[in-house]
Amino acid sequence: MNRATFLVITVFVLSSPAFAQDDFFTPTTTVSGYGELHYTNSTSDSKKATKQLDFHRFVLFFGHSFSEEWSFKSEFELEHNLVTGKDGEIELEQAYLSYTPYPYLGFRAGVVLAPVGIINEIHEPPTFFGVERPEYHNAIIPTTWFGNGVSIFGSHKGFEYQLNAMEGLNSDKFSTSSAIRSGRYKGFKPDASNLLYTLRLDYNFNSHLKAGVSASYNKAKGDTSQTEFNLLEAHARYQQAGLYAAFEAAQISYNAGAMESSLGYYAEIGYDFGKHFKTDWQFIPFFRYSYYNTAAKVRNANLDPDKFGYNLIQFGINIKPLTNIVIKADYLSKKRVSDSDETRTFSLGVGYMF
Amino acid sequence: MNRFSFLKFSSIIFFCLCTLVHGQEIKKTTEALLRNQFGKSTSLKEQKYTIPATAKKKAESAAKQKFNNSFIYIYTASVNGAVKGYGFLDNVQGKAMPITFLVIFDTKGNILSSAIVKYREQYGGEVADKNWNKQFKGKNSSSDFTVGKSIDAISGATISVNSVTRGIKKLAVLFREIF
Repeated sequence: MNRATFLVITVFVLSSPAFAQDDFFTPTTTVSGYGELHYTNSTSDSKKATKQLDFHRFVLFFGHSFSEEWSFKSEFELEHNLVTGKDGEIELEQAYLSYTPYPYLGFRAGVVLAPVGIINEIHEPPTFFGVERPEYHNAIIPTTWFGNGVSIFGSHKGFEYQLNAMEGLNSDKFSTSSAIRSGRYKGFKPDASNLLYTLRLDYNFNSHLKAGVSASYNKAKGDTSQTEFNLLEAHARYQQAGLYAAFEAAQISYNAGAMESSLGYYAEIGYDFGKHFKTDWQFIPFFRYSYYNTAAKVRNANLDPDKFGYNLIQFGINIKPLTNIVIKADYLSKKRVSDSDETRTFSLGVGYMF
Repeated sequence: MNRFSFLKFSSIIFFCLCTLVHGQEIKKTTEALLRNQFGKSTSLKEQKYTIPATAKKKAESAAKQKFNNSFIYIYTASVNGAVKGYGFLDNVQGKAMPITFLVIFDTKGNILSSAIVKYREQYGGEVADKNWNKQFKGKNSSSDFTVGKSIDAISGATISVNSVTRGIKKLAVLFREIF
């Protein structure tokens, strides 16, 4: 054996130690999902009473990790059991490729979620109080807010950041009663001339307290209108020794159109009494106060902002036999600011995630 | 050695060194964590350990979680020839990617510390928090590991919290079974 061959073999042997990084990673395909069945019984001072039984969401996640750095994730959703004509929805809420070379720097492209607020990105039923998602996350933050785009993200020493660029909104569909909600293209042939930009920053003070802010900007455009808007939002979550608390507030400012601003906030607290009993089940009664107004400030003097403002008081219980299964009951009183018109809703629900 | 074979030779060395550096990230972190626990002068013996069938079954049913692999890595930490403790290095499944974690035991199987060696997903990385991991200190195979009771849940990290907690319990039971 000549000297060179010997050296090559030596180096090769040295570089193949018993410890192989591959032992800790094999490409895998994962299937997971969540779903929720809701019963709602609603009575109102001014509207007809309604009772409804709705399997609101049935969701499947498909994911694949190609390597330690490259992965794919998708979320496929059927809402309200059935799709016929304009009823029900099938949505591709997430479908993106991620490339994460470092914990502090990753990239993503595909159908992505706007990184705004507590619920939009993490919305599995066992993770929030109440049968329905908080109304604020419907009226002010248009949850689930998803679209085609790209993200840069990462975390370092408790800090997390995400910069998102995705499809913008259709300003023709903005309204005093639902703010920007109906402006979402939901990935359906969206106009790519004006993207929505979001920057989100979070900080983990410790494993109990996490707080963050996000700022979004878009020059929304429709066939007949154009409105620049920005959405500023702050959120915090606290969880320790059975105590759960969360707070979130947001304001949307528009430079044109009927509304000058929309705003809302909520605060909630819950406590797991199951902790004190000899059971694995969690029994978490909660209380939530919320206010929102989809047209808090208006440009048209004929519009009364108080007609779009609501005070909401909600209480109920989340029972969790297992971490990933939840049984829910709650009562919600929603009062309009202008005339104290009240809607009372009693809801029951079951939900799961896996 | 002529010019051509020298080039070939250097590129092979370069390639091997790259593999060496890349492949050692988990190992380096693990050894640093163990030396941090037992002291700088600790000598470490690493072993790719195939889990015996009976012990595997017992640990899996106690923790309600399967092992990701048929083996784990066991580090024996000694100071001046005396064994001070052990490090168990293993994977659990996160939402889509594996989570590599280390549990350090004293010689009796009590947990001295636990740590996330490599987290690969964007969400749920809070399980790497040092304070959260401190909750496992002092626990052993007969302790309570219920999330929400003995172990705090973390908002937005439900899956990784459950997965890692079960993984740690599983290794604590495995320790009892094999030592």
